[in-house]
Amino acid sequence: MPKQQRIRDPLHDLVEFNIERSQVERVLWRVIQTRPFQRLRRIKQLGFSDFVYPGAAHSRLVHSVGVFHTARRLITVIEKFVPKDVRGDQALAAALLHDVGHGPFSHAFEKIGERFNLKLADHESVSDALIRDSEVTRELQEMGGGFANDVADMVSGSGHPTIYSAVVSSQFDADRLDYMRRDRLMTGTQHAGIDFEWLVENLEVGNVQHSVGDTLLAPVQTFVLGRKAIFAAEAYVLGLFQLYPTIYLHKATRGAEKIYIELLARLITLIQNGSSQRAGLPETHPLVKFARSPEDIERALALDDTVIWGALSLMAESEDECIRTLAVRLRDRKLYKSIDVRAKIAHDRSDADAVSPEADTICANIRDAVSACNDELNGRAPDAAPRILIDEVERSPYNQLTEDAGPLNQINIHTEGDRLVDLATRSNVVRELKTYKAFRVYHAEEDAEARGKITEIMNAGIQKWQA
Amino acid sequence: MAGIDYAHRAAEIVRDAGGTIVGRTRLQKVAFFLEAAGVGFGFPFRYKHFGPYSEFLAAATQHASALRLIRETEGAATWGGHYSTYSLNAQLPTIPDATRVALARLMVNADAIELELAATAAYLALERFPEPWAETARRKPEKADAGRLERARQLYQRLRQVPTPHPLPAI
Repeated sequence: MPKQQRIRDPLHDLVEFNIERSQVERVLWRVIQTRPFQRLRRIKQLGFSDFVYPGAAHSRLVHSVGVFHTARRLITVIEKFVPKDVRGDQALAAALLHDVGHGPFSHAFEKIGERFNLKLADHESVSDALIRDSEVTRELQEMGGGFANDVADMVSGSGHPTIYSAVVSSQFDADRLDYMRRDRLMTGTQHAGIDFEWLVENLEVGNVQHSVGDTLLAPVQTFVLGRKAIFAAEAYVLGLFQLYPTIYLHKATRGAEKIYIELLARLITLIQNGSSQRAGLPETHPLVKFARSPEDIERALALDDTVIWGALSLMAESEDECIRTLAVRLRDRKLYKSIDVRAKIAHDRSDADAVSPEADTICANIRDAVSACNDELNGRAPDAAPRILIDEVERSPYNQLTEDAGPLNQINIHTEGDRLVDLATRSNVVRELKTYKAFRVYHAEEDAEARGKITEIMNAGIQKWQA
Repeated sequence: MAGIDYAHRAAEIVRDAGGTIVGRTRLQKVAFFLEAAGVGFGFPFRYKHFGPYSEFLAAATQHASALRLIRETEGAATWGGHYSTYSLNAQLPTIPDATRVALARLMVNADAIELELAATAAYLALERFPEPWAETARRKPEKADAGRLERARQLYQRLRQVPTPHPLPAI
């Protein structure tokens, strides 16, 4: 067996596993060979984003390896400040395994799980189960009896937060430091670049105060930045702010996800109601088996993106009109067209107005009216595909410190006088950032009636504000 | 995405708790216990860093705020962070359920950390963890000390004394 295993990676170049000298790297190399981990080859990191950016077809496997590599860098930073600790090995394993539970098309699949209350559609639940009790666990056992459980705790965020948990979950976690750069590289977009080397060079370990209500808790050790990295930190926050509208929440990507969610929701409903034949899939198909036994981890493990893509051609022949229509649309990228309500408000008034509380009220009323209209339209043909799909989403690239977010969600700058100051206090740019909000309503291109009704509701809603 | 009916349900939780709930975590835990006791509104909960959490409820609360059924105001805490207060802002057409009111009002003035600990133990019990209090202490060591776990147990016993359609697990 070679002394070193190597993976060539488009972002990091060589990712090495020293299997002779490092026990944890030897164990993790074997973890990579397990079935649950190899399954990540067949789950794309960005789901349907390659409908918009054809190069963005990278897998969760390569991202996970990149997170491992980045975590190793972060642990060397920690070891400059605190003595070496076994939790470094746990953090390395947690970094590699943090995404192992993702289902087909990741977050869109979780939306289906929420609708049907399917625990094993939730990637955190599946990751937890796979790390604690699977082939992965057996490989991790070489590191000691409780190692797998400690890794699972670190991934889920249980236990006392330490600087090692910050490697796995914080503003400077290895996950974000990999995906921001990898997704930018693979999509080919040229904005949202970050100064990675400078950020890592200026990372320090600090103790941050933490409270709930009026109760002061023990300080939490986490990453903080030296003051020379303020501008790099600004770019880091701004980069994420730009990635939301342009990549993660792109209207076509979200439109495809909405079709996928409706397709699988219809499929699961038919199967659970005993009408699986109408769906067009054989009884042995992994999707049919999962819908029948959604609590069985083996059924969840049998699902990945390729299972869905493979099923589309079968579902395109389904007896069920809804399934047939949506499967063809997804297969052939015949997506619904979107009407962007917040963009219309921004156009009519201003960008600031489009994300204001008044706009939230206008959008909530429009949404409820569109939902009622959709119910009426769908009521006319209950077996047809939904006439209208609604997407409402918001993301904040940087939140102020709140009781339910905790100190690991902040970026603290180590300033003169040995003080830690929140980035939003030091940076005017970050302080002024508003939450990105999108509200889109989708309809089939040829469905003039739906388009007309949506436009009418939207215009009436916005006019109320203008009046 | 939560529909208008769920926005109303989120507002009903605030109403039944007496019209005001301080803290997002407290709102989540109140709603969790209502679900566990069988007097909830159908909000699904999963385990997150702060114990049982419903994204659906978070979305419904936001929707209720946008529809002005409730008002969310933000306050600055003495320790430098921010917290939300939810207040009822509209007349709701439904009649409050007496059991829900009794439970919610027991929780609304409870210590936020003790309520979080109690909700976490109850969630773990429902997930069939053999020793939910010990597991809660293991998962939240920084919160379970200083006598808070014991006080969380006492709070939980008070909640259990309210007769509910689904008795809270005996832990």
